[in-house]
Amino acid sequence: MTAPAAIVVQDLTRRFGTFTAVDRVGFEVGRGEIFGYLGANGAGKSTTIRMLCGLLAPTEGDAIVAGHRISTSPEQVKRSIGYMSQRFSLYPELTVRHNLEFFGGAYGMSGSSLRQGIASVLEQVDLVSQVDQSTGQLPGGMRQRVALACAILHKPGIIFLDEPTAGVDPVARRRFWALIRSLAASGTVFVTTHYMDEAEYCDRVGLMVAGRLPALDTPAGLKTRFVPGRIWVVRGPGLRGEDARARLLALPGAVEVQTLGAGLRVRVAAQAPTDAAAIQAALSGPVSIDEDEATLEDVFLAVVDANAQAAGASRAFGGAT
Amino acid sequence: MRARRFLIRVWALAHKESLHIRRDPLTLYLGLLLPLIMALLFGFGISFDIDHIPLAVADLDRSPQSRALVQDFVAAQEFEYRADLLDPDRAIRLMASDRATAVLTIPQGYARSLDRGETAVVGLQIDASDPNTAQQALARADIMAQVATARIAAEAGLLEKGSGGLPLSARTWTRFNPAARSALFLVPGVTAYVLALVAVLLTSLAVAREWERGSMEQLFATPVGRLEIVIGKLLPYLAMGCVQVLLVMTASAWVFDLPFRGSLVLLAFASLLFMLGMLGQGLLISVITRNQMVATQTSMLSAMLPSMLLSGFMFPIDNMPLFLRVISHLVPARYYIAILRGVLLKGNGVAELWGQVAMLALFALVMIAVSTVRFTRKLA
Repeated sequence: MTAPAAIVVQDLTRRFGTFTAVDRVGFEVGRGEIFGYLGANGAGKSTTIRMLCGLLAPTEGDAIVAGHRISTSPEQVKRSIGYMSQRFSLYPELTVRHNLEFFGGAYGMSGSSLRQGIASVLEQVDLVSQVDQSTGQLPGGMRQRVALACAILHKPGIIFLDEPTAGVDPVARRRFWALIRSLAASGTVFVTTHYMDEAEYCDRVGLMVAGRLPALDTPAGLKTRFVPGRIWVVRGPGLRGEDARARLLALPGAVEVQTLGAGLRVRVAAQAPTDAAAIQAALSGPVSIDEDEATLEDVFLAVVDANAQAAGASRAFGGAT
Repeated sequence: MRARRFLIRVWALAHKESLHIRRDPLTLYLGLLLPLIMALLFGFGISFDIDHIPLAVADLDRSPQSRALVQDFVAAQEFEYRADLLDPDRAIRLMASDRATAVLTIPQGYARSLDRGETAVVGLQIDASDPNTAQQALARADIMAQVATARIAAEAGLLEKGSGGLPLSARTWTRFNPAARSALFLVPGVTAYVLALVAVLLTSLAVAREWERGSMEQLFATPVGRLEIVIGKLLPYLAMGCVQVLLVMTASAWVFDLPFRGSLVLLAFASLLFMLGMLGQGLLISVITRNQMVATQTSMLSAMLPSMLLSGFMFPIDNMPLFLRVISHLVPARYYIAILRGVLLKGNGVAELWGQVAMLALFALVMIAVSTVRFTRKLA
């Protein structure tokens, strides 16, 4: 990366009493990147994003956001970023225009620059005709776009979105992601989510588990590293029993077998000789066999699993947690 | 540039808050209608003025003289004639069952004593289970007795015209509230009480609401400073408070026929400071509790009780134990009521009231400063 990174995070830690919500997390986000931050509820995603936005002071470690240290100059950080919080908390009884006017004013905008900003941002999020409606009466997908408009009105270089698509229908989610990609053309986007399919849209994905960041790479890179090999989906009658499952696991190089609706999904190590024919041979009766691709969900499960094993191991050796 | 940004942000906040107020019927009701209703209800409801004290008479003398005495008592309508019972015991029972507050007993031989030039004795019993009423009834009865004495003496020719009459005569007259109407005493207290309660309640909800909804987090992510939030939140409510003061004052002045003897400018300034202080108190509660429910209860307790009990609204502060007298110095309503009474009734100006005005200013300043300091913009 030639240009300085938009976000640099070093050993960022936040404790609440004895509970460590974020534990020595470090990464960099380049300019123009869409950076996805994945994790289960309570993994520490929101705590991280709040620290990066200057809303929460780190207990240890630091981060530089848009050239400002979050520990020493949170106010400069706030000025240079846009933030869309969980639940996209706007003022529901105010109209779209009044919400925009308020947040524009809060960022010090006024007069013609505010008016022009509102006009162009409404165009961008396609809400021109809803401008005088009460925000609370709009459907969820539109409300979410209003919240985004409020966060980008002052043209920040970096924008943080904390679970922006929670509780929004799939069509609205897809549309919102098209918007996020258009935003990345002119700035950096940091987005948390727990939808694995959304993470596929990101340039790079960080995976948080219990306050740590054990995995960080491009979606493809994560898949190669955490779920290597080939995946086959087997469908047909007679696959329900433990018998079929055991036979698949007995194949040379078989790593894991998952139940997938009426069928089974088997992953085989990359160098193993097992192929579609071998699977067919191992099972009696007519089955259909298709090759499948690894998903980020596979990655997520693998990482969580590895983490749980590591935690179990440390407990077994008497390590305090 | 900094100052301009500051003003832009304060304006944005104040404008947003005023939109909330305009769109929220409850706030409008709380802010404008409720104080008016409360002021009128309290003003009409509470009165220490006692007329028509129900009087039972046990006239055992049955003479023209005794009937003239009863006439003296009921003529001014301060006592209202209820019954004439020949048996004093039955008269007492009437008082016990609350159908009479006073019993006048005129013994047999009343007229004869008067005719002989002896001192005639009549009895007046008063129900003192309500000491305030009893006090007033007693005072009235004394005056009645004096009036009757003078009449009887004149009729008997004991007081000749121009002889100067009784050796000592004190000329008393009541100043500032000549008719001793309790409304003139109570309405300033009611005004302060109602304004305090509503002001604290309004702002205590304003900040807690944002915490509960989660919009506070979004607000903190912007470069808006805490002083800007505090001022931006206060301004629209202060404007509303001014309308409130005007409404309540005008209505009370008109309905209760309040005099206005002092400086309007001083009163307006003091009202502004008082409202600012009470709004600041509500804001502080909101900042600390972050919860509408708790904020409502805290503001009720912290505004209602002191403004009612420790402000001199009804109970004279001078009669309180030292401990309460000291605490009453922390109650802004105390100063505001003093200013209201001073300006309205006594025609006081800055010379008499500057101390009270200064205390109101100090209270407002402390409330706003503490709210700002306690306003943590970081999320817990």
